[in-house]
Amino acid sequence: MAKETSIQASLPLPLPIFHMLLALSEGERHGYALKREILQRTNGKLNLASGALYGSISRMLDQGWIEESDERPDTHLDDERRRYYRITALGRRIVQAEAIRLQHLVRLAENTLGLPDLA
Amino acid sequence: MPVPSRFYRVLIKLYPARFREEFGEPLERQFWDEYGQAGSAPARAIFLLRAFADLAATIPAEILRELLQDLRYAARVYRRRAFVTTLALAALALAIGASTGVFSVVNARLLRSLPFRSPARLVLVPQLISSLNTATPVGFHTTAQSSPFLEDAASYRPQQMNLNANRRALHVQIAETSQNFFSLLGTAPALGRTFAPGEDVEGRDRVTVISYGLWQQFFGGDPGILGATIRLQGVPLTVVGVAPPAFDFPGNTSLWTPTVFDFALLPAGEKMVRGTVIGRMKPGIGIAAANRIYREGVLAAGGNRRLEPFRLEPLRDQLAGPVRQASFVLLGLVMLVLLIACANVAQLLLSRTSERRTELTLRAALGASRARLVQQLATESAVLTLAAACAGLAVARWTVQLAALALPAQLATQAYTILDWRVLSFALGLSALTGVLFGVVPASLIGRFLVDDALRARGPTPRGIRRMRAVVLAVQAAVAVVLLAGSLTLGSSFLKLLNMDLGYRVDHVATLGISLFGTRYETDYRVPQTVRTLRELPYYRQALDRLRAVPGVESVAAVDFLPLVNDPHLGDHFTLDSGQDGPAMQVAATPDYFRTLSAGIVEGRDFTEADRQGSEPVAIVSQSFARQVSPDASVLGHKVTPDQDQPLTIVGIAADARYDPLRKQFADVQVYTPMAQSPGTAATITVCVKGNPEAYLPILRDSLRQVDPEVPVYGVMTLNQRLRESLARPRFYTTAVLFFAGFALLLAVIGAYGAVSHSIAQRTQEIGVRIAVGASPRGVRAMLLRQSMLPVAAGMLFGIAGAAALGRFLQHLILTAEPAGTTTCAAALVLSATAAAAIWIATGRILRLDPTAALRAE
Repeated sequence: MAKETSIQASLPLPLPIFHMLLALSEGERHGYALKREILQRTNGKLNLASGALYGSISRMLDQGWIEESDERPDTHLDDERRRYYRITALGRRIVQAEAIRLQHLVRLAENTLGLPDLA
Repeated sequence: MPVPSRFYRVLIKLYPARFREEFGEPLERQFWDEYGQAGSAPARAIFLLRAFADLAATIPAEILRELLQDLRYAARVYRRRAFVTTLALAALALAIGASTGVFSVVNARLLRSLPFRSPARLVLVPQLISSLNTATPVGFHTTAQSSPFLEDAASYRPQQMNLNANRRALHVQIAETSQNFFSLLGTAPALGRTFAPGEDVEGRDRVTVISYGLWQQFFGGDPGILGATIRLQGVPLTVVGVAPPAFDFPGNTSLWTPTVFDFALLPAGEKMVRGTVIGRMKPGIGIAAANRIYREGVLAAGGNRRLEPFRLEPLRDQLAGPVRQASFVLLGLVMLVLLIACANVAQLLLSRTSERRTELTLRAALGASRARLVQQLATESAVLTLAAACAGLAVARWTVQLAALALPAQLATQAYTILDWRVLSFALGLSALTGVLFGVVPASLIGRFLVDDALRARGPTPRGIRRMRAVVLAVQAAVAVVLLAGSLTLGSSFLKLLNMDLGYRVDHVATLGISLFGTRYETDYRVPQTVRTLRELPYYRQALDRLRAVPGVESVAAVDFLPLVNDPHLGDHFTLDSGQDGPAMQVAATPDYFRTLSAGIVEGRDFTEADRQGSEPVAIVSQSFARQVSPDASVLGHKVTPDQDQPLTIVGIAADARYDPLRKQFADVQVYTPMAQSPGTAATITVCVKGNPEAYLPILRDSLRQVDPEVPVYGVMTLNQRLRESLARPRFYTTAVLFFAGFALLLAVIGAYGAVSHSIAQRTQEIGVRIAVGASPRGVRAMLLRQSMLPVAAGMLFGIAGAAALGRFLQHLILTAEPAGTTTCAAALVLSATAAAAIWIATGRILRLDPTAALRAE
């Protein structure tokens, strides 16, 4: 229960962090890869600068939402010196909680305004 | 590598250590990649702009984040060692605070600029050299303006006078000046005008500028004061202006009159007093050059080089006064204490870090770099120093309050305060220096050894640290010896002061000052002596009668020069009928004076009511005077003659009275005459009461005022309060030095204790081995004592040398201080005994040491 409140206290997540956790849920990434993936997912709208990117990574490491991974996928493909990160169980619950929060918001808007069909 | 990349690499170094280590490399690589991908020049420019904006935003954020982490960590570390931390904090706070407090005195008196236009060009001129008569306005101003090195000069003479206005009487400090006094200083009035040219000529000089304080308190700040008439010593003056707030030059002055060349305000008959000359040097002439020209002028005018060492004195030096050396001595002592406190904090930091070596080495092994650990340790010492600085400001405020009591400043603008940019910068600089010297330096040292020994996690304490600890201990010992010796010297001379036989008693006596100048009780000495009436006598008779009627009063007397009130002087000269002569101070007293002060009449009798105007002139002389003029035979019944006056018959010999306990020389030579035969125009009424005299002060003051509201009553205090006041300065110095010494000793002892217990903790295994192979615990203890006392002894040697050097300076604090080798030895003895005791106690745990457990400890 205490854990639940601490998760709620971390919300809402800053958008870059939400995207980073989301991307990491799909697998391990290194910093630069995360940046490119987010750029792609947001159609070039969210272009994280390096300082901000690694600042967020550092914070998530401190919070225990992500951790450094020892495994190197496809070492022949990648530079061995790169650090890879993976999401932790806590990180997963955080990003879920944020998604639920957003869902509630969207539902609320839908019920109040009615939204035009996306399709 | 292109320039932007190299530049970026430099900027990355601005990130805090932890972040830089973790992410510096990927940041750099990513920059390199993206810069390459950007392709065209405009795209690259946009990319660069974004990259640097990103750095500008994230570097401060990361610094703040790591700082907060380090702070939290530091707080945990300090909480674990709360006792030692509190001690170090108190040490630093007291030391920084006391230094800052003393510095604020130095600042107020020596550094703060004076409230005058270009004050550096103002000098005091001992004497204007001229063929003209400089005691006249024309002669003075002509001489001043034709001086080769002065732009102009003004003259002033401080006085205490009676002021009557608004049907009230006050006794105030005034200054008689030349008309250009304010214009020379460059002071504009707050209201009205200052003196006009020509206004210092007799007949035109009945005007006055009053101080802002007097205007507010006495006239309620009424602008209608301009043009009003006040009476000074009975002479009516028109108020033409009000001086600006806080202007009170030449010192505590309430009003100024342009009467320095006129003697209208002085007691009738006095036409002798000279003004002090203050000059403004011409622009471009330095004090040395001006002095050269001035001296040449003095010599050319026939002055003797040896007899008249005339010298221009910068106004600032004169205002700094005798406190100058004392402040510097005190500042020096206080800095010594700060040094020892710093050493202690360094000690704390050292022992703490060596205890934390395991933890730090572990972190180092996990990849934390030296920079990162140093950052952590530096933050810890910065926190400590900063907290100490804040607490120190409170201590500084308190010090300043004490100093203001003991060393009052001459001018209002010299008031001591810590709320001054120089003082605050001093405190800040001092704290920064403290933090750097004894926080960052050891921290970086530790950082270095940590990386070197990262793999030998639990080896013995490295040599560097051990040596540093020994040096710190030695410095502590040296400083403690210097301060202890100083405090013993000052303490013993102060005790001597306290136990001094003054020749009278200070308890049960109240004193009240009155001045009859300018009132109807002032004798007109211009009237020939044969037909002169002594107008003061009726006042004294009424006043004494009135006070005698107050319940609880045992005896009352009036005296014109009371010990502890008036400065001793030897202005009078007396010749015994045997032809022997000598200087003495003449004191006029009423009967019962000696009884009121419990001062003994050794031989003969006291004055009586029968000794009055017209009866045989009599005198009572002090024992010193009697010895001086007649070493062998009693002077009782002989005649003694003051210069240019009639002979007096000696009817009594009184015990010597010490007028100023701080001055040894010729304070005790008095010739008393009856008030009824030679009344003083100002006097102190002394009242001996049953019980606490402080309780009587209000009723005594009111009763005395009722005798005649025209006569100001001032200085209403007990004699004991006056004694305390005159001993305030030595008491302050002694207390301060004693406090510092005790503090230094305590710190040194704690330092020794800490060092030894730490070294035992480090060497547990070695000690265990020694005991296991047969060494007795007592022998091991003795060995540790020997080893630890070595730095203490070395420091002590330096301390003894330092104490000898300090001894000479102590006389700036108390004139009677006599430094002696014995006190230094005593100080060294005290220190070594306490240090040895501390070390012995610290080694006590060896007795309880189980050798097998000690061996297993590894």
